[in-house]
Amino acid sequence: MAPKDDGVDGINRSRRRFLKSTGVVGVAASVIAPDGAAAQTGPAAAGPGAVPVRLQVNGRQLDLMLEPRVTLLDALRMRADLTGNKRGCDRGACGACTMLVDGRPVYACSTLAIAVQGKQIRNVDGLAQGDTLHPVQQAFCDKDALMCGFCTPGFVMASVGLLEQHPNATAEQIRKGLDGNICRCGTFPRIFEAVSSVAGGRRG
Amino acid sequence: MADQDTMPRPPGEGTGRPAAAAQAPLDPKFAWPTTRTVLGTAVKRFDGPDKVTGRARYTFDINRPGMLYARIVRSPHPHARVTAVDLAAALRAPGVRGGLVHRQPGPEAANRVMFQGDEVAAVVADTEEQAIDAARLVKVTYEVLPHLTNVSAALAGTAPAVFTNGNVRQGQVQESGDLAAGFAAAAHTLEQTYETHVITHVCLESHGTVCEWEGDRLNVWISTQGINAARENFATALNMPQANVRVQCQYMGGGFGSKALSVGAEGLICAQLARQTGKPVKLMLDRKEEHLAVGNRPSAAARVKAGVSADGLITAFDAESWGTGGAGAAAGFPLPYVYRIANRRRSHKDVFTNTGLQRPMRAPGHPQGSFITEVMADELADLVKMDPVEFRIKNLPPEAPNAMWRSYLREGAEAFGWSKRHATGDPTSGPIKTGMGVAVCTWGGGGRGPAQAHCEIASDGSVIMRVGTQDLGTGTRTLVAVVAADTLGLPAERVTPQIGDTNHGVSPLSGGSTTAASISPAIRVAAVKALDALKEKVAPVLNVDPASLVATGGRLHMRDDANKGLGWTEACKHIGPQPIAVDGDWQPGLSSVTTSGVQFAEVTVDVETGIVKLTRILAIQDCGLVVSRLTAESQVYGGIIGSLNFAMYEDRILDRNTGQMVNPNMEWYLLAGMSDMPQMEVRLKDQPERGVIGIGEPPTVPTAAAIALAVRNATGATMRSLPLTPARVLNAMRQQNVRRA
Repeated sequence: MAPKDDGVDGINRSRRRFLKSTGVVGVAASVIAPDGAAAQTGPAAAGPGAVPVRLQVNGRQLDLMLEPRVTLLDALRMRADLTGNKRGCDRGACGACTMLVDGRPVYACSTLAIAVQGKQIRNVDGLAQGDTLHPVQQAFCDKDALMCGFCTPGFVMASVGLLEQHPNATAEQIRKGLDGNICRCGTFPRIFEAVSSVAGGRRG
Repeated sequence: MADQDTMPRPPGEGTGRPAAAAQAPLDPKFAWPTTRTVLGTAVKRFDGPDKVTGRARYTFDINRPGMLYARIVRSPHPHARVTAVDLAAALRAPGVRGGLVHRQPGPEAANRVMFQGDEVAAVVADTEEQAIDAARLVKVTYEVLPHLTNVSAALAGTAPAVFTNGNVRQGQVQESGDLAAGFAAAAHTLEQTYETHVITHVCLESHGTVCEWEGDRLNVWISTQGINAARENFATALNMPQANVRVQCQYMGGGFGSKALSVGAEGLICAQLARQTGKPVKLMLDRKEEHLAVGNRPSAAARVKAGVSADGLITAFDAESWGTGGAGAAAGFPLPYVYRIANRRRSHKDVFTNTGLQRPMRAPGHPQGSFITEVMADELADLVKMDPVEFRIKNLPPEAPNAMWRSYLREGAEAFGWSKRHATGDPTSGPIKTGMGVAVCTWGGGGRGPAQAHCEIASDGSVIMRVGTQDLGTGTRTLVAVVAADTLGLPAERVTPQIGDTNHGVSPLSGGSTTAASISPAIRVAAVKALDALKEKVAPVLNVDPASLVATGGRLHMRDDANKGLGWTEACKHIGPQPIAVDGDWQPGLSSVTTSGVQFAEVTVDVETGIVKLTRILAIQDCGLVVSRLTAESQVYGGIIGSLNFAMYEDRILDRNTGQMVNPNMEWYLLAGMSDMPQMEVRLKDQPERGVIGIGEPPTVPTAAAIALAVRNATGATMRSLPLTPARVLNAMRQQNVRRA
């Protein structure tokens, strides 16, 4: 899992801002491989070949054969033709892949598909009801909160996740909640406007 | 002007050169209407719903039956000779269907890789994961050669000789006026060096291509700023008729110049692997490849000596400039920027380094020239104790429709609260200092042909406007509908715009902010002709002269009697089974060139930590006739944000020993996020009499200089290089204190 540590509720300091303001250089996270003993006593290793993976995506069951290393993003994009969410950086930095897993925004490029079996996964392809847009989607259209649109699915899902947890999100919560997403075209002011217009009308 | 020679430019473009006023169109009926119903209004972006739902299919989203995935093997070394490439192990790997050697091994100069990320080989497999695995199994043997990534060493002659015709290319000296007399007239002189750094485009959708062969015909989906140019690229490189190549790009995730001029090695490799395997092949670059190999904004630097008279006129400007555009590309930029300086000399050197080649990046050369010139301008203004706004007004070219800086500066100063600005160095106590800065911009952005538009009106009232152009994200699809709808007296949503396919006709590539000014006239011409044809059909029914009919409010009616006429759908019923179908092309008189803009910035600086916070930006910008207000304003917001990234965050950092990029990703290559946004106000000026002019590039020019000058105003320390990291701000302040002591 790659939860987005934007600090909406908790420590009032986002990951991005922390990195930027301190200029910390070093090993951000180390990957610890299981040693032989742990591997023997732990659950049986899956793979390396394809294994059956059952996902609940947008309320539908999806049975796929995936190598365990396949990410949630790639599984949906390349094995289920759910191409709405994008891959911008593939390292959990740009947020274009943002999906909701059990209601929490996650970076799907850094989340293994095999690890989210049994959880409720929502990506942007399943957000609208037919031709009726979700209020967040509608607001993005109304405020011109997109240009090339490649980051948009991630921003939309991050905004939906934020507003489901904080229906009356304050300006500060909106900023923090969307700090894990990058728009290269520079639509931030209008994204802020769009999300604010949905968030119980509270601005400031 | 040693400007980018790689960028297509309309004639007359330049820094402050007066452009001819818009001439009359060939036929007065094509002229832009004096009352506009859809033009200039806030029409919602047409592809909004497709983009917010994920339905929009970018190249990255094209999934074809049986499609394979390709991966390029790239050099880890900035400079090396390829002595052997062994694909055998890769070709035996699971799922692998093919491979090729791009850089042939051998002893010649042509067998060298010239930068980290240079293409060497490629493989193609059933899945992307398998392709990535296989790429690691390609055995490339390199003879590592001495590399050059240090520009100063190249200039000093202490770098290894890397480039066949020399590491440094001296440009011609440009001189005008009498430099000695200019310095003699100066009350003060200034000698300083200014520089800007290399940044990369970071299009959120990477460069990518899907190629599918049908016999000897090639279908291409590619993330490109020029579908027609891409068709030519593929056909020429593959030695096949252009008639056999179809290129499509319905949606693309940004280009910013890096997808304009060529389909690149990555595009051709995709086509070659598709031909080799007989299957559709997708090749998308990853983020690291994006940073290394597919373009960047060149660095720029200048050692400047300038003189200013006691009353604030810049009397002399003498500059030696240089920059690097990578392994063999130019690094030109306009200098001095915009300001009128009678006596000046400039010599320029392109420095070649073992780094990825530059590609045009949003307003090529202008942000660099702007930064150097504007920072110098404030230093000169301080020497004569003159307000920066007044100093600019004194030194800018005369006011003209394409040179509106004086008016905009006065309006902006008033709106921004410039009168509250203190002199250089915030005198208040405490660690948080506040400052303001201002800078100006210009850009050409004119139109050109061929830019064909095809308009159909069918008996059910459908209107199709088809243009062989592409939408980088600027809103081209919306613009097509707006121009057509305004002419036909319809709401924009009644028009179906079709773009992004070479089967739709020929249109210029999208570069130099030329798309709006190229296609809007063509659409206008086609729509006027189509409406004329409809009038011919309807006039006999109403028993009137076709020339007496006009189209407004969704009706075709008598000019002087709105009640006598037909609703659009009724009118179109008289078209018959064969739709009206007409073509238009760009023609002079409906577009012009050269915009002006000014931007004001306000910052706070924590002088204990060096952290800069951008608090406010005001942009005043013109672009001739405003076609589509929402999307045009979005371009200005985007330009500002692009430039604040350039000023404060982005930096391609190279390891000085290995010559490799240390931050080829998006966590250490910093970009602003939501919390970094200042308050922004955009004032878009409408100049309908000038016709359409592009707006994509100019707003990204002045922001960086305005921010750097605001930091100077806050701290009293002049920021002569970018980006404005805490370390750089603290260093500048320390040097300032040393000088004072």
